[in-house]
Amino acid sequence: MITLTDTQTIDIPVQSGDEDRYHLKLGPQHPATHGVLRVDLDLDGETILTCDPKVGYLHRGFEKLAEHRTYAQNIVLTDRLDYIAAMSNNVGYCEAVERLLAIEVPERAKMLRVMVCEMSRISSHLLWLATHALDIGAMTVFLYCFREREVLLELFAELCGARLTTTYTRLGGVRQDVTRSIMKKLDKFVEDFPACIEEYETLIDTNRIWLKRTIGVGQVSAEKALDLCLTGASLRGSGVDYDIRKHMPYSGYEKFEFDVPTGETGDTYARYRCRMEELRQSNFILRQCIEMMPPGPILGKDAPDLIMPIKPANKLEVDVPAKNALITLIEDRDVFMEGDIYVATEVPKGELGFYFISDGMGRPYRMHIRSPSFIHIGALSTMGQGVMIADLIAIIGTLDVVLGECDR
Amino acid sequence: MQILTIILQIAILLVIVLLHVAYATYFERKIIGHMQVRMGPMLVGYHGLLQPIADGIKSFFKEDVIPAQADKPLFLFAPVICLVTMLTSLAVIPFAKGWVLADINIGLLFIFAMSSLASYGVILAGWASNSKYTFLGGLRSMAQVISYEIPLGLSLVGVMMLSGSLNLTTIVTSQGNSFSSMYLFPQIIGFFVFFIAMLAETNRVPFDLPEAETELVSGYITEYSGMRYALFFMAEYIGMMVMASIGTICFLGGWNGPFEIPFFPPFWFILKVYGFIFFFIWIRATLPRYRYDQLMELGWKLLIPLALLNILLTGLFKILVH
Amino acid sequence: MKVQYKPKRNLLETIFQVEILQGMALTLRKLFSPAITRQYPQEKPPMYPGFRGQHALVRDSVSKESKCVACMRCATVCPSRCIQIGYDEDETHKRVVNRYTIEVLRCVFCGYCVEVCPVGAITMTELFEYATYDRQTVFFDKEALLDNWDSFILKTGKDATYVNPLMRPRGVLESSLPSAKRLTVPDDWTIEGQYVGTKVKPSTMNLPSTTHAEAENG
Repeated sequence: MITLTDTQTIDIPVQSGDEDRYHLKLGPQHPATHGVLRVDLDLDGETILTCDPKVGYLHRGFEKLAEHRTYAQNIVLTDRLDYIAAMSNNVGYCEAVERLLAIEVPERAKMLRVMVCEMSRISSHLLWLATHALDIGAMTVFLYCFREREVLLELFAELCGARLTTTYTRLGGVRQDVTRSIMKKLDKFVEDFPACIEEYETLIDTNRIWLKRTIGVGQVSAEKALDLCLTGASLRGSGVDYDIRKHMPYSGYEKFEFDVPTGETGDTYARYRCRMEELRQSNFILRQCIEMMPPGPILGKDAPDLIMPIKPANKLEVDVPAKNALITLIEDRDVFMEGDIYVATEVPKGELGFYFISDGMGRPYRMHIRSPSFIHIGALSTMGQGVMIADLIAIIGTLDVVLGECDR
Repeated sequence: MQILTIILQIAILLVIVLLHVAYATYFERKIIGHMQVRMGPMLVGYHGLLQPIADGIKSFFKEDVIPAQADKPLFLFAPVICLVTMLTSLAVIPFAKGWVLADINIGLLFIFAMSSLASYGVILAGWASNSKYTFLGGLRSMAQVISYEIPLGLSLVGVMMLSGSLNLTTIVTSQGNSFSSMYLFPQIIGFFVFFIAMLAETNRVPFDLPEAETELVSGYITEYSGMRYALFFMAEYIGMMVMASIGTICFLGGWNGPFEIPFFPPFWFILKVYGFIFFFIWIRATLPRYRYDQLMELGWKLLIPLALLNILLTGLFKILVH
Repeated sequence: MKVQYKPKRNLLETIFQVEILQGMALTLRKLFSPAITRQYPQEKPPMYPGFRGQHALVRDSVSKESKCVACMRCATVCPSRCIQIGYDEDETHKRVVNRYTIEVLRCVFCGYCVEVCPVGAITMTELFEYATYDRQTVFFDKEALLDNWDSFILKTGKDATYVNPLMRPRGVLESSLPSAKRLTVPDDWTIEGQYVGTKVKPSTMNLPSTTHAEAENG
């Protein structure tokens, strides 16, 4: 039995029958909780009896902030949701707003969006693999992954001027066209990347310690995974073939050839295999982007100006110069419709949904973000029960959570 | 007069070993760095050559934080236990013929005793810090050391049977001078068990559970800082060196080499020890970490039966030959 | 598509630790491969035009003053509302900027201000090393912003006609830009010289001659 000293009992009410339990607050400052996740654990030895994730340490109130900014200004906020794959968030947000405001996106911009989405999917999965492997103790994979991620981040910097906070999309298109030098570098990356995946797999794929640490750990059946609302590779690992890119294509994904990898066993290893396969598929999509990039404008005809008025109609006509494209929009097409919309996109972590309620103003009346990380953390208390501490770390890794997105 | 000579010898040994420890950290950081396509320390001195000294100075002058709720005497004493036991076991290691401080007859046993004692330091550190992570780290370390002491000891029984002695010098001399007469070949199973148990005994990857960074923050040394942290660090590296020395002595023929190096007989010994340390580092750069129960399983279900099998085979071999 | 697992290792591979040895061979090979580290303070990262770094007000080569016309577009578009502009009107009702401040600690570096500026007065430079210990030095007023431009020109050796893709976005029609931003840029920044996929047949290419421009202008 573990005796607790006075100071330790202060914040832990010891109930009867509770004396054998060891309370451990894992995080929010912990090297393996991927940010500021706190998990309250009740331990029996090293076995976890109850697991209770606590979130909110990185809450910045984005949903509220969005209510005071125009649709265009809110793109900046989406960079800071899942800061590992900011491009995907930008695209997800713009897809939603464009559907709400009925804005057309030209073909080239769609293809560019797919391209940056897949680039950010690769870079996000690389970071996932790096930290997941590091959590399980394989230190070298971490740095090999960062080697390739660096190439992609440099490309982002060249494309839009920032490595992480990209702000790349605009309502009705994208902000910057690609240059030849970017595409040349991307081409080289796409060429080299399969060999790099081989390298990671040499280190861990068949390694007996890796297999022991991942097979059968954090197992969820397909039904359970659906009940827990898992999405993305965490769901596909359990054998559910659900990928929004394939089943509800957006941004021209229907034109691309790719497979959706699904696992069978639903354990950490299956999810690991799924994501590794997704890396290959994303690479394949990038190859198609390089080959099929259509010519044309990057901004749609009716794309609104960056300066969107918050107040619609009458006040607007006084304030903004008459040549502003938005006025024609408002007058001609009545874009600031009242109503609501939910649009989901497939980001590296899972299903990222934006729900808007519009009251006819130039800003959302309410913006709700369905962030996959938040929902995946909810699954932690079920998946983390009865396992050991080391397994819990592996499970946090395999769920691929980013706290910026979870707490938003 | 004799006492003075011994003290002088001890002082020289200590200084040399501590310098080696300092540069073993540099060696590790450089090797791991390059294996991970980065560079390791580069700034202090040419290619970071003065980095270990800078680290030493830094940790010496750093504030030594003692947690308010810690068991203060034990907290202060734990790193000293670790370091002293590790340093003591250096006394019986023969670096070359006659280059040994205390050529006692139970050298091997002495080293086992000392490395077991060192785990007291770890456990006490884990307990006295009064922190949850350190406590778990201490518990893990206790279980790990106890279960891996057995295969470690058993794996060397074969060597003892072949050489007929526990004296380390005798073990080396009985291996003879040639490459093929090293105990590595007749004792290949023993060597395999010894190598894995050695990794576990020194808390190295893939058995670094007591200080598993991503699970227990830093394990038993979470609450330590400054010089006391450095003491643990030194103890760990000296432990690595001691274990590598034992491996060299018992399986690789100690200081014997293909030819004699004039004026510096321990040359081959040091080379082999560094070979071992390189292997430690290489493994650290490659492998993930075991889980706690898997570690126990490996120790009890695989290594101990293998070690016993090795003893049986060695015994049969001896009976058949003689 | 079901993911494929590699075949289970057989007894021989288990005994000889084949997969571990393969991994170790890889790390050993990497030991002798060149490092990819960038020794940062000595070796700067590559900077690309359009990097969203320190803000600056372009110093006009003729008037040696700022180009800003106080149209307030940057202050309006700024998502973090960190730009403050004050102006007077002279006798011809022309606006004269008397105060232009950027509170960098609030800035999110989105680059919207540069993009909406109709005269190319504000820009973001490729400088990023300006961390300080006090707030005052990163609260840029008009003079500081003009000085930023000077030091950027000085440090990077760019000429005063420097133009980055934030000031003149790549891939937009020349005619859709305000006249002050129709600058000479590399070929692949324009819509005519843009990158086209390697497998797109030239016959199917229909160059967007008018669509965009008409929408903007008419």
